[in-house]
Amino acid sequence: MRKVFLWLLIVTAAMSMIFAFTLSGCKNESTAGTTAAETTVTETTAAETTAAETTAAGEATAKTVLRLWCMNSPAFLAAYEGLAAAYETAHPDVDIQVESFEYGVFIQTLQTAMPAGQEADIMALFGSWIPLYAERLATVPAEVMSLDEAKNTFYKAPLGGYLGDGVFYGFPQEFNNEYGGVLVNKTLFEAANLTYPPKWETMADVISDGKALAKKDASGTMTTAGFYFIGGDMSIPFLAGIKQFGGDYWNSDHTGFTFNTPEAKSSVQWMLDAVKAGVIDPVGFSQNDLFPVFFSGKVGIGYVGTWSIGVGKESYPDFKDEWDYFMLPNINGDTPSFVADSGWGLTVSPNSKNQDIAWDFAKFATTVPENVIEYNRITGTIPALISAKDLPEFAEQLPWAEKELGILPYGEYMGQMPDRDLIMYEIIFPHIVKMLQGVETVDAAMEAIDTEANSTFK
Amino acid sequence: MLKSGLEINKRRFVLTVSVPLIAYLSISIFVIGWAFVLMFFDYSPGRLGGPFLGLGGSNPFIGFDNFIEMVKGASIEARMFRLSLKNTLIFAFTILPLNLAITLPLAWLLDSIKGRFKVIFRTIYFLPVLISSVGVALIWNNLYNPQSGWLNEIIKFFGGKPVGWFTDSTLTFLGIPVSLWAIMIAYLWQDYGYNMVIFIAALQGVPEELKEAAMVEGANRWQTFTKIVIPLIRPTVLFVCVMTMLSSFQVFDIVQVMTVDKPGIGTQAQVLVLDIYKNAFRYNRMGWAAAESFVLFLIILIVTIIQVRTLRTKWEY
Repeated sequence: MRKVFLWLLIVTAAMSMIFAFTLSGCKNESTAGTTAAETTVTETTAAETTAAETTAAGEATAKTVLRLWCMNSPAFLAAYEGLAAAYETAHPDVDIQVESFEYGVFIQTLQTAMPAGQEADIMALFGSWIPLYAERLATVPAEVMSLDEAKNTFYKAPLGGYLGDGVFYGFPQEFNNEYGGVLVNKTLFEAANLTYPPKWETMADVISDGKALAKKDASGTMTTAGFYFIGGDMSIPFLAGIKQFGGDYWNSDHTGFTFNTPEAKSSVQWMLDAVKAGVIDPVGFSQNDLFPVFFSGKVGIGYVGTWSIGVGKESYPDFKDEWDYFMLPNINGDTPSFVADSGWGLTVSPNSKNQDIAWDFAKFATTVPENVIEYNRITGTIPALISAKDLPEFAEQLPWAEKELGILPYGEYMGQMPDRDLIMYEIIFPHIVKMLQGVETVDAAMEAIDTEANSTFK
Repeated sequence: MLKSGLEINKRRFVLTVSVPLIAYLSISIFVIGWAFVLMFFDYSPGRLGGPFLGLGGSNPFIGFDNFIEMVKGASIEARMFRLSLKNTLIFAFTILPLNLAITLPLAWLLDSIKGRFKVIFRTIYFLPVLISSVGVALIWNNLYNPQSGWLNEIIKFFGGKPVGWFTDSTLTFLGIPVSLWAIMIAYLWQDYGYNMVIFIAALQGVPEELKEAAMVEGANRWQTFTKIVIPLIRPTVLFVCVMTMLSSFQVFDIVQVMTVDKPGIGTQAQVLVLDIYKNAFRYNRMGWAAAESFVLFLIILIVTIIQVRTLRTKWEY
């Protein structure tokens, strides 16, 4: 019996080793493929596609099949399917199969598929993810688009996410801007006898309106927040404020953060003023999601990106109050400097045997203004393509983007943080909330943000 | 002839069972071994790394650095690990006594009821167990909503001030953040029915004559329960303790759903498995997550051994 047990153990261990070596072999093969693909990309043509990548035998014309991975939000899925269909119409010999994943599953699929070399030919990735996967992505070949050309084609904030060491890894589709605008409840404005549409010159004007809109019940509990700005994305106005006060949160060579500065402290002053004026209760109204409270009539002014216009209309069709979206005045100075964390865009796998077609599709989807506007219309996003605004139908098709046109050129990429989510949601946000709740002083909050954010550098 | 037929059947059985067993064990051992190896590397699946399984190169070998950082480090991930570990220990060591304090007396009460009411009550108490953790988390999230949650409405009705269950960073009870209490209450509500049913089954197995004998000897109901019943159901108590502790240490889904839209403040209630998940799948730090998993494994192993040694019995009735 003991011998059988020993034998079983030996065989199992051996099988595990074989399993490991097999995986390693697969990985080596895919790595080799990467190198080869990177060096021969310009030589590969659709005609050289392997039989395995063509449709079932028997069809008169074999199609080259490419897979595209994206997030499975219905709007994004519809937009990518629309782009794939448009490309297939123009290229009947190509079949682009869109495969979508729930957000979390998408990340896990990338984490497992990429090391195995099994990822899709084209991947719709978020700009901030690019540094994490850069080693496993193909760079844009110079003949497809040069870096200088890209800088003239796309806004710098969304493009910034796809850049690294003088090369770029894909084409941005979206200018993901969370800075500068608010949802405004017209019904509450009129009930409070405030000017509508609002004519704000400074943040003090916004706070003044917020004060008039805020309501409390007999117990002193806030029932309506005049100006709701405490949410996970409040890092964005904080970073914008630093820029507008003439500072920077990066050190000179981008190897560390500088959050404990006078500019950073000035950047949170309007938030403290707002809480002091009673426009928001930082305990009762510090949930992350603005929508449930705004679309139940409990918020007069709510800080959020323009994407909220489309989502709000779609998700809360029965909300009776009238509402609209307005841009805020600058936090400081005359220039609306701000930062953004790139946005969704298209990248290509170095393991794809059809990289030329993949890049051609990516360029088709992201640089042809009509395609860009269609994508951004369906997804409710802002185009990363500068020339999209020149199309006559721009304002009609993308009214939310039209509101922001004035500030978009001032947007900069927030920079390749070691971990953007960690810094924004686990470091900056909680310390600012604690500061607004009176648990931490401004100095202590800035010092803590500075120390913790710098600890994310290895 | 018959003997050789049996031998053939035995061999067939061994062959049939061995192949899937070896395949299963090989893959299991590989996965466990892979996690064990990863904890000594600064490994991210997004990086190419070296030629063998992506280890080395841009995924460098770092020895015990992950563990040293966990203990001494000032980095955000080290502090989050220590907070998560503290919360997990609080969670497990609070849930277990609370669960036992509710389920054991409740089971005893239900066991003493006769007729169809026993079935009705048992069904009612067991219902939360049938709800998925995500559903439970959503229900309780609504109850805790600072603006429209029932709990705050009840508090306001009685003249109290609403509580920021997940939004007030200053609020603690017995030194534990209220957000963690809020999750523990939801978890207890979902979980207690399961243990209650197990205890009812155990109580039904206690011979009536033993209880009657105790009563004849002058013991009251409480004394009978504590001196006769509980010692007799000790193996069941051990089982319940081990299983509740295991599930408490591994709690994830309910915490994830209840804190997912509350960055920062919700993090006060972060537990170790959620921290492992975030590091592995959100921040791409597989090596760190593997090291955290190993620490969790060790803790569960030690606690389980202590429980088994403390509560085991050498007799049966």
